[in-house]
Formats: sequence, C-alpha cells, structure tokens
Amino acid sequence: MRTSRRSVTAAAALAVVGLVGSACGTSSGGAQVQQDPNAPFEVWTRSTEAPAKVYAKLFADFEQKTGVKVDYKPIFTDFEKQLQQRAASKDLPDVIINDTGSLGTLVQQGLVPELDRASVVGNGDIVERAWESAKGADGKYYGVPFSAQSFVTLIRKDWREKLGKPLPRTWADLADLATAFTTQDPDGDGQANTYGMLVPGTTDRGYLAWWASSYLLQAGGDIVKADGDKYAVAIDSAESVKAVEWIRGLFCDSKVVVPGALTLNTNDAHAFFESGKAGIYHTGPYMFGRFDQKLGKDKYEVIAPPAGPAGVGSLAEGENVYLMAGSPRVADQKKLAEFLISAGAQQAGMKGETQPVVRLPVNKNVDVETVYNDARWNTVAKLYQDSAKPFPSLPNFQPFRQQTAEGLNGILATCATDVKGELSKLAGNLKKELQAQGMAK
Amino acid sequence: MTAVETARDVGATANGGGAVGPHPVGRRRERRLTGATPWLFLAPALLLFVVFKYVPMAEGIRLSLFQVRPFLGDLFVGMDNYVRILEDDRFRSAIGRTFLLAAGQTAGAMLIGFALALLLEGHARSLWFVRSAVFLPVVAATAVIGEIWRLLYYPAPEGFINNILSFVGLGPLTFLDSPDSALWSVMAVGIWKGAPYDMVLILAGLAGIDRQQYEAAEIDGASTWQRIRYVTLPALRPVVTILLTLAAIRGLRTFTEVYVLTGGGPAGSTDVWMTRVFSVAFERNELGIASAGSVLLFLITFALTVTVQLYRRRKAS
Repeated sequence: MRTSRRSVTAAAALAVVGLVGSACGTSSGGAQVQQDPNAPFEVWTRSTEAPAKVYAKLFADFEQKTGVKVDYKPIFTDFEKQLQQRAASKDLPDVIINDTGSLGTLVQQGLVPELDRASVVGNGDIVERAWESAKGADGKYYGVPFSAQSFVTLIRKDWREKLGKPLPRTWADLADLATAFTTQDPDGDGQANTYGMLVPGTTDRGYLAWWASSYLLQAGGDIVKADGDKYAVAIDSAESVKAVEWIRGLFCDSKVVVPGALTLNTNDAHAFFESGKAGIYHTGPYMFGRFDQKLGKDKYEVIAPPAGPAGVGSLAEGENVYLMAGSPRVADQKKLAEFLISAGAQQAGMKGETQPVVRLPVNKNVDVETVYNDARWNTVAKLYQDSAKPFPSLPNFQPFRQQTAEGLNGILATCATDVKGELSKLAGNLKKELQAQGMAK
Repeated sequence: MTAVETARDVGATANGGGAVGPHPVGRRRERRLTGATPWLFLAPALLLFVVFKYVPMAEGIRLSLFQVRPFLGDLFVGMDNYVRILEDDRFRSAIGRTFLLAAGQTAGAMLIGFALALLLEGHARSLWFVRSAVFLPVVAATAVIGEIWRLLYYPAPEGFINNILSFVGLGPLTFLDSPDSALWSVMAVGIWKGAPYDMVLILAGLAGIDRQQYEAAEIDGASTWQRIRYVTLPALRPVVTILLTLAAIRGLRTFTEVYVLTGGGPAGSTDVWMTRVFSVAFERNELGIASAGSVLLFLITFALTVTVQLYRRRKAS
C-alpha cells in the first residue's frame, strides 16, 4: 500500500507538471510563422506502396520544374493518428493529400487555415463540383481539390450471362439478379455457396453508412440535408425510410447478402468478390486494378448504380490538397497545389501501375476518355458529373456517419420491422449532434 | 567483549550466515551504504516506468478534463467529459456487457482450465507434449486468433464449425452474425484463449498439494469427487485468488478479440468498454471524452485490485 500511495503522489505531481506545461503551450496556433526557405518541405499522402510510387514521380517532376525539393512521406495506416501526434508538437507537415471527408475535422481542429480560392493560379480550370468538396461548413475554402470519384456497381458478368439475366437498371432488377445469384448456383459447382450482394456492413469507421448512402440518394433520401445555411436531419424522411426498408428486405427477407456482412470490413469484403462468393459489389473505382489482377477484367462489368425511386444516385468522394497551418514555406505550399491541379500533373497522376492517384481529374482540360482509354472510367466520370453527391460539409461529419452506421446495423441485425420508428430514434440522436455542432436550424 | 562478539560472528557465519538471521557484517556494510543506493539500482527501471507509464497516465488524466484540440489549444471543460460519457447510452450498455463478458470469460476459463489441469497433471513425456499443445492459444497473437475464428465461425452452412455441426444434425448457427449469439461467441473465443493460461497456474498449485492428504482421504473412503471438493479445491485457494484478480482485470480491458472479431457489431451487441473508448477517440476524434472513459476504467480496476488484496489480507491474518 505504501508504494502505491507514493506512486499516486508521484502521478499527481506529474499531472501538475503536465498542466503547467500545457498552460504555457496554449497560445494561439494560427499566429504568423517565421518563413524559412531552408526548412524541409514535408508532404504526406495516405497511400500504400503502389500509389506512393506515382506520387514520388509527381513530386520529382515538381522539383524539376520549380527547384523545390519535396520531403515525401507516404503513410497508410494510422494516418490520422500520426497527424495528431505532429499537431500535438505543433510541427505539422507542410502539405497533405487526404480524403475530402477529413476536411471538417481538419478545420475544426485548426490544422488548415482558410484559403483564398481566387489566389490559386488555374483555379478556373477546376470543375465546380470538386470545389464544393473543398468548402467548409462556413462556406469558405480550406483545400484545393485534387482527385474525384463516385461509387459504381460491379457485377459478375460471367454469372449474369450464364443465368441469362439482363443488366440491372432498377432496384427491382438488382434485387432479382441478387436472388438469382444466391439461389441459381451461378458458379455451377452444385452447391448453394454463392450470394448476391456484397456489403461491407461493419460499424467500424462507419462503413455501413458509406455503403448505404448511395441507396439513400437513389430513393431521394439522405442522412442530413442542407436547409438554407444550416442543416436538417433527413434520415427519418419518407424517402430514407423507403431506402432502408428496401435494404432491410435484402438482408432479412430475400437473404441475398453474404453471411457475416454486418461485421465485415472493406478489406475482408474484397476477398468475397475476388473468390467468387458474391456477385454484386457497390464500391469505388480504385478497386479496378486489384480485381483485374485477381479476378480478371473479362469476369466483371462496371455499371452506374441501378435507379431507385428517385433515379440514379451515388456517393461522390475525392481527395484534396491541404495546405497545413504553421508552415514555414507558405509560398511553396501554394506552388505545389497549383502544380498538382495543372493538366500535366493530373494526367500523370491518372497513370498508375495498379492504382491511379488521380481517379477522376478535377481539371476540365483533362479528358478521361483519352487518358484512360477504358469505358469503365467513362461510366465513373459520367456518374460523377450527372448524379453523384458528396457527404455534406458539416464541421465534423464523422459522428453522423458513425451513428448512422450503428443505427442501420441495428435495424439490419435484428430485422426490426418498425423501420420508421428505429430511424426516428436515430434522427433524434443526429439532431442532438447537429445542435452540438451549431448547425441545426 | 570484543572476543565474545567475534566468536558470535564466527558462529553465525558457520550457521549459514545472513540467510538465517541478520548478519552483523552485513549490517555494518548496510550502514556504510547511503540510503540512496537502492534507489540508484532501481533508477533505470523507475525511469522507464515514469516515461512510459506514469507520464502517459498523468497525461491521460489531464486530457480527460479538456476538450482536446491539439493545434488550437485545449479547452478546459472540467468534469464535462465524464458527464458526457456516462450519459451516453451506448457507453452505459457497453459497461454492462463488459462485466458480463469479463465474468463469463473468467468463470469459463477457470472451469475449463481446472478440468484441463486435472487431466494433464503428471510427469509423463506425452503429457508434456499435450500440455504444450494446449498452451498454444495463449502465445498466439490475438489478432491472428480473431481472424481465424472469424473463418471458423463463418455463419453459412459451408462454414467450418457449421459444417461439423451438420454431421450431428445441428445448425447452421449464426455465431457472430446475430446480436443474440455474437457476445457468447466472443466469450467462447476468450475462454478458449484464457483457459490454458489458467491451467498452467492451477497445475503449479496442484503440484504443491501434499500427496499424503489424498492418501489419507482415500483411506477414509472419500470418493474422487469428495477428494476434489475437500482436498484439492481448498488447497488451490491462493492460486484461484490470483487467477481471479488477473482474469477480472484482463476481462475488463478486453479489446483486440472484440475489435477483430466483430468491431463491436452487429447492432452494437459486442461493444465493450475499450472498443467504445477506441471508437470515441479515433472515429469521433473526441480524445478528451475517450480519456475520461479510460480513467474510469482505471479507477474501477484499481478499486477491484485493492478490494481483492484487502480481502486476502483479512483472510490471512
């Protein structure tokens, strides 16, 4: 006991030291930083090995053009965690390239300063929809768009042709095809071991909401909807209820979803499509490279998601170049962003070995058809242009995605019949979150 | 006087020296060394403890009182984080589930560990081999175990366990796929992983029991069950106390198994204390609230340990 009392005292003493230390360190982070052209110019991207090579080449081009040397660091796992650590020591990398979805958090924590859109050379060449993804909840810009994409539906072509089914154009077609894949043994091995829909339905990172949001849009529903300059919860609207009821049918009535879907993360999910266990997968176009290699380009086809009651809809996503706060190289930050959105760099970014780092170009002067020469990418581009919609630019969208995923996961796991009642409960929680973020009407 | 003392010294040394009683020579040397000496020896370990344990702990306690915003400066919010996490429905139900999981895993692992220990006690070479095989789950990485059990539990007829069950006309069971069975399935994995560890400690306890007690009991006409009940179990009490403490702490901070097996789903049915804290910290970026959750867990574990210690001391005295 004596030792533990002593260590408690020591811990308390240390806590006091910590408090004092932090009190000294809480001066404003946004203060003007001394510029230093000799400081290393650090750039981070969230990439695995293959795309990192494409980035490295891009940055080498940049150095050749401008003489600015980039200290490049690709990070895949723990990107946010490492960024938080650097933020804690107030020494952020100068530039990061990351999901448009992380904008809210970056702004909320003060990691990215406001950006004057008009001052970026070449800003007029960027499509307006992409700029939307760089806009914060306050209507100001906090990043430069770099790449865009929308989710598409992948279908096992050989299975569909074997069963003599047409390409699905509506929800009814899709459900019918999923049932056929589940019950009619499309792989012909005599066993009932195939499934229609592949759904990465874990609540981890809110994946289920990611997947479901396209279907919500197709029914005219949404998680939250813009209402003037504020937002209103839309997850309990009649349209959203209809979408969730339809998804519930796939899980609970026709049972065409792969087993274990509600605890499945994306990494494990890909294997189901590759190994011929599931035939329909709504996912991002960055998977083409991997599926071409592991499954075969001729085995699957890429279509725009079949239309729901409100037409075709799909989630739009992308990546932004964020010019981080507290950089000693402000001029070079902008120079790099301007280079990355130039037609040349965008084209180079689309030519990756297995994964392009620019999926759809944000620059109007780059033609998807000529660069990729791949009809599947035309499908993605057309979908993005006509019917894709990004998550709303709330100060922090993460809690909404997380709670929606948890709510939907509950409905699908228990096969609750009162979908409307369950969604109203979820709506109540989302409303509280909107109020907490000061975005409720 | 001097002569007598010397004689006593020699006597003490001849008797085996300091091992028996305080040795005068030793005492003299002790006096020469300053009070700082033991601390000097402890310094490397203490330093590591301070840097890697106490400082992070103190930092965690500090963060639990702030809204954490690394670049804008943290905002002091007092006990607000504690109030918010305790008001969170999901966190509250996770607490209940954590205790259920901890209790189930502890009891299950102990029972099966005890049964295994009784079966595998002895010195034969074959037993040594079987014991090592049984111990494997303890040393395998939890993340790997999780991935493998996910495959075993695959909730379709072609899943491994369901396939076996079908031979005896059972199944297919849902395992991790249904909110009704997910927590029990996680618990089973925990027991599978924890039981061999308990077995080893119980084996050590069994080895310490005097054989004569068994013989005496047998002469008195005690059945096998009576021998276990009245000889083995009472003799194992100290081992059981330690196992209970260790297992309870381990059970409360369960994370990896749940995270890899289910990520807390489906429908939050396997969400436990630490997965909730993780989700709040790294999915919702609320480091302050997550720290509050961790501090609460620390306090509870601390209280639990102290209670067991006090209980033991009272028993002993």
